[in-house]
Amino acid sequence: MSEIETYRAQARAWLASMAPKYARAARSKLNLSVEEDLALGRQYMAEKYDAGYAGINWKTEIGGQGLSNMHKIAFDAEEMQFGMPNVYFGISLGMPIPILIQYGQDRAWVKERVIKALRGEEIWCQLFSEPSGGSDLAALRTKAEPDGNGWRMTGQKVWTSWAQYCDYGVIVVRTDPTVEKHKGLTYFWVDMKAEGVEVRPIKLAGGDSHVNEVFFDAVRLEDSQRMGEVGGGFGVALHTLMIERYIATDSAGFGPHLDLFVDTAKDLTINGKPAIKDGRIRSAIARNHAMRAGLDSITKRAFAMMQAGMQPGPEGSLQKLVAVRSRQKLSEMALDLQGNQAFDFDPHAYVKEDWGTSWLNAPTGRIAGGSDEVLLNTIAEKVLGLPQDHRPDKGVPFNAIPA
Amino acid sequence: MSILYDEGQQAIATESRRVLDARASKDRLLKLLEQVGEHDAAFWDTAVEQGWTALAVPEEHGGLGLGLVELGLVAQASGAATAGAPFLTPGYGVTHALVASGKADLAAKYLPQIAAGAVRGAVAFAEGTDVLPAAPATKFADGKLTGTKPAVPGAIKAELALVWASGANGPVLALAELAGAERKPVSSFDNSRLYADLTFAGTPAEVLAEGPAALTLAREVLARMAVVTAHEQVGGAEALLHIARDYAVTRKAFGQLIGAFQSVKHRIAEMYGLVEIARANCIHAAASAGTDAFLVAAADARLTATEAYDTCARDCVQIHGGIGVTWEQGLHLHMRRARSLAIEQGNLLFWEDLLVETLTGEAA
Repeated sequence: MSEIETYRAQARAWLASMAPKYARAARSKLNLSVEEDLALGRQYMAEKYDAGYAGINWKTEIGGQGLSNMHKIAFDAEEMQFGMPNVYFGISLGMPIPILIQYGQDRAWVKERVIKALRGEEIWCQLFSEPSGGSDLAALRTKAEPDGNGWRMTGQKVWTSWAQYCDYGVIVVRTDPTVEKHKGLTYFWVDMKAEGVEVRPIKLAGGDSHVNEVFFDAVRLEDSQRMGEVGGGFGVALHTLMIERYIATDSAGFGPHLDLFVDTAKDLTINGKPAIKDGRIRSAIARNHAMRAGLDSITKRAFAMMQAGMQPGPEGSLQKLVAVRSRQKLSEMALDLQGNQAFDFDPHAYVKEDWGTSWLNAPTGRIAGGSDEVLLNTIAEKVLGLPQDHRPDKGVPFNAIPA
Repeated sequence: MSILYDEGQQAIATESRRVLDARASKDRLLKLLEQVGEHDAAFWDTAVEQGWTALAVPEEHGGLGLGLVELGLVAQASGAATAGAPFLTPGYGVTHALVASGKADLAAKYLPQIAAGAVRGAVAFAEGTDVLPAAPATKFADGKLTGTKPAVPGAIKAELALVWASGANGPVLALAELAGAERKPVSSFDNSRLYADLTFAGTPAEVLAEGPAALTLAREVLARMAVVTAHEQVGGAEALLHIARDYAVTRKAFGQLIGAFQSVKHRIAEMYGLVEIARANCIHAAASAGTDAFLVAAADARLTATEAYDTCARDCVQIHGGIGVTWEQGLHLHMRRARSLAIEQGNLLFWEDLLVETLTGEAA
């Protein structure tokens, strides 16, 4: 057994020991509110920290375990199968904290934050998207103006995950509207409990409210909260988006496994004939199997390349694009297949085990974290060398861009 | 099971591509389209000279003792060049059947000649629209074959055929020299594939497997050939992806490069996705040969490679506009090859069905 496989086996054993208290199977019987589930999640994170599975690939001097990216992926892949209550901490530890580690000015304070975040005692959010710019991040309008030896910030962010439970956030704001839009941005951290910060949850189409609008009304920022240069915010933001390249993927598009579709089809009929014998259903099963197998093979090959000390290829960028839209179509088909039975809908059913919630929440997956269109643009431009789109805002000061 | 190519395998990939690039001739390939009964002889000579015919033949029979991974890499290079004579893949099918059947005398008789390129193989399984018919009309009795196999790839020139037939005790996988069979050339949209109806009228043949063992072996042979073909399809699809990309960054319309239009750039990005998914499946399938997971892996590779090549052929022509449909420009070489390869070794419909049968545990 390789060292990674041994590590993976140990991780699985530890996770199994935690499962009776924390795994989805155990929690789903309890009908917990989000707040109760979060409280359990904080306990889980503390146990995970104490067991040495937190900050796996981070340096030990900052509170991590000093292991490789492969160790982290191995743990994440195992953890995903248990459905642990860690969803509230994914963004916090995925992007804001690594950036804080890199750019935070007061190192002792940074280390304290890192450990509290790893233990689930504090949560950080990422305040990027705005009503005027999601995919087009640099179109953002929230501004920070000099105020004595610091800054004063006013504006609005949107789609901020878990902001209602967050202690801190990282934020990109406009500090100079007279230069090109990418060049007038600066990156800060912000205290989410500060005066002038207001969080309003947004109820999504699927019924849950994990994303928020966040309003800033003349919020005071110290200059020590700045991360990176004044005017260097776009670069730090891009760095944030690049940082989590070594994440666990899911060829099911974070929806149900194909086996569930096969089981669904085995139980049902079309015009009195077994659905599993229907060519359309068989074609859908076969095509989805082949596509998912391809994505899984890409993941395995990337892993093998990392183990061999090589850089994985750009084909890893296909995962979300291909998997989530396929999940969306397959979920529609599964609901059709169920006929009137599909109307019996539970909005709280787990998306990986239920076609109704998988279908209703699939559009979020195709938009969040890079829309399908943006991902296609990225592949076309960065991987294949195709030209950028026509950009009327290019080379124009932000305050002179035609409305 | 390795899923990263080692140095030797990378050298095979680079060298086969280099040789084929140096010897490729679009004019030669275009001429072949209008001739029935001629194959890409320059390719076949290259294949023999480079030892590709010997790649998967065991060393004891004069081969190199390599396998599906290496042959797949050669097939990928030949797919990119729309080169390829229709003997490399079936030759491998015949080779595997000879080795797996354990018929040492037959292996000793034919494998050295296959390795040397002196004997060219064909595989005749399909009848009517059935890829692997449950009860083939072609009969085997008293050491002789009787019946007709329609449009067998390579059959105009092959010397030896692996035939799927009905025997006294269920199906038979038989090996027949084609000197004693009648060949009726089929005029096709991809003539260098050398399709011919093969008619056996008491043609002497040797049994490689019978009954349930014959079905198992026939499926294994078909799956292995399908994985070689899937590599060839990936090679073709990837070549089309690059051709489309290169055209989109040189051709202008409405005052800008057409590659700046999202309708075009997204189409090309989608081609990339299909190619990479199919490539990943091919690598996995080739590395899975001989394991229980192979049939499913082969089906996954075949399905995604067929989709990739078809879509790339369709969309690459579309991106070229008018020039893409001219004879001289030659994109139709890929379009034609995409279709012929989509049908050889079993079409999508067959593989979808076989995959679901395997996944659901339905009786074969």
